[in-house]
Amino acid sequence: MLKSYFPVVIFILLGAGVGTAFTLLNNVLGPRRPNPVKREPYECGLPSEVKRNFRFGISFYLIAMLFILFDIEVIFLYPVAIQLKALGTFALVETVVFIALLLVGFVFVWRRGALEWR
Amino acid sequence: MTTLLIAAAKAPVIDYKGISPLFAVAGGAVIVLMAALIRGRFAQRVLVPFLTVGALGAAIGLSIWNWHTGDSRPIVEGALAIDPLALGLSLLFYITGLATVAFAWRSRALRESGTGEFFGLMLGSIAGMTILGSAENLITLFVGIELLSIPLYVMCASDVRRETSLESGLKYLVIGSVGSATLLYGLALIYGATGHTGFAEINNAIGNSVNLTDPLLLTGIALAAAGLAFKASVAPFHAWTPDVYEGAPTPVTAFMAVATKTAAFAVILRFFLEALVSAQEQWAPALAALAVITIIVGNVGAIAQNSLKRMLAWSGVAQAGYMLAGVVVGTQLGLQATAFYLAMYLFMNLAAFGVVIARERVSEHGDGLKSLEGLGSASPLLAWPMTIAMLSLAGFPATAGFIGKFYLISAAVDGNWAWLGVMIVVGSMLSLVYYLRVIAVMWMTPLKIELPGRPRRARREVQPVAGWSPEADPRAQPEVLLVTLIMAAATIFFGIVPSPLFHLAHDVGTSISALFS
Repeated sequence: MLKSYFPVVIFILLGAGVGTAFTLLNNVLGPRRPNPVKREPYECGLPSEVKRNFRFGISFYLIAMLFILFDIEVIFLYPVAIQLKALGTFALVETVVFIALLLVGFVFVWRRGALEWR
Repeated sequence: MTTLLIAAAKAPVIDYKGISPLFAVAGGAVIVLMAALIRGRFAQRVLVPFLTVGALGAAIGLSIWNWHTGDSRPIVEGALAIDPLALGLSLLFYITGLATVAFAWRSRALRESGTGEFFGLMLGSIAGMTILGSAENLITLFVGIELLSIPLYVMCASDVRRETSLESGLKYLVIGSVGSATLLYGLALIYGATGHTGFAEINNAIGNSVNLTDPLLLTGIALAAAGLAFKASVAPFHAWTPDVYEGAPTPVTAFMAVATKTAAFAVILRFFLEALVSAQEQWAPALAALAVITIIVGNVGAIAQNSLKRMLAWSGVAQAGYMLAGVVVGTQLGLQATAFYLAMYLFMNLAAFGVVIARERVSEHGDGLKSLEGLGSASPLLAWPMTIAMLSLAGFPATAGFIGKFYLISAAVDGNWAWLGVMIVVGSMLSLVYYLRVIAVMWMTPLKIELPGRPRRARREVQPVAGWSPEADPRAQPEVLLVTLIMAAATIFFGIVPSPLFHLAHDVGTSISALFS
């Protein structure tokens, strides 16, 4: 019974090992030629220094979130596409229902103008 | 192995008649969302609410069509049970939904967030509740609870230009996620201990292949109980309730207070009495302790509140404690009593919230206790429902609340949990402090000024502080008044003639065959 958990232990050890190794080895092996710009923390190319009146366009969030939503759709479609012959008509109908629901969401988002850049 | 799985996935047997109510609400949500795209006042003000009411009405009709007594085989490959427990409690969700449509129709939250979005989210949440009420499987349970919660987080924040509404949505999101995570962890451990996700299989495994004191199982039960306690606002997991209830738009608060609590208790009933009933000696003392803490904390917390919404939130916590006592008993009678109390809870709470909504729109005191000052003479049509609701919540005879509490106490005594019955009585005594105060404020504050000739037909005297305006007349919001009056009338009617609901509760009691032994 406990033996079946062995892979989990290995996974944990491996994960911890690799993570620690990368962190440490980076410090030991990496060349260090700092300059002020390099030392500055940043995220996604933006300076991370946030002033109090800093405003981030809401459109970024909207588009990014919608992208993720419709991106996930493909992840679900892919396995069905590969196994469709084995799964049969029922899976096809289910997938069509799934896509139809997403289509409703898409029409809603589109008509409400969430895809326009403001 | 793989071929086996695929073969099983090939042809799931779906009983379309059984899940038709779910289709009605889920399909209604989609249609409402699409109808919301039609521009124009008519579509927004009339068409969308009408479609929402239509979807809920269809769901009610289909639930009644499916009604039968006794336990039945779960449908959709053991995922959903269509039994009187599921159908009966879904009826409560749909009725609350109908009332919420009326409450929200003129609310600012609706204008701010859009009619279609608001009602679409509400129908989605109700679909989640329907799934939750009939969940026969750990996976379905979790899907239901998420489908219920996520639209609710948004609905709490639907008054998007009011900071407190956003705050309430955010708080509910954070705390609700913690609750969901705890629940999911518990479900995973239960699955790990028993090796099954179906409720009936879990119940068979406990005591046979799994030891009753298996630490994995017990930890799982404890975590799942804590997660469900978050949703049902059972102390000590109730801290979010007053804040979220106060900040959310009041129609949403009414919806949450009634439907979400009913859904949470639906799943608590099914989970503990169907999946874990063979481990009852393990969880019953823990739940009994939670019930006692909840009754005391809820009733003591409500005493100091000046905001009606906060007061009703704390009172809801206390009521959750009473109903938890019905779950602890773990008998058929306990199941019947809890289901019966949930129905009573709907009537009296919707009546109270209706009055709060009607007053808060016109009074400068918002939902404060002061907004009810002098209501007894200014508009008796609002004061009477509130009085009835408060008396019923406190458990006065000749109201529905009395019968409900009586049923719960008799179930507790019958199942050898007499001291829990005593706790219910003690809690009700404590609750008189704040329920009667509301009544006193309405009827016993002196009148000060006389308004000449407005409203036209009747000369009325109101307190200057209540801020009279044409909208202060309850007749200016007939839909809210109508729902409030119906709910108050039902509270009185079922307090005097409870037998129709007794029969329904009896049917509900037959739905979990594990309790027959």
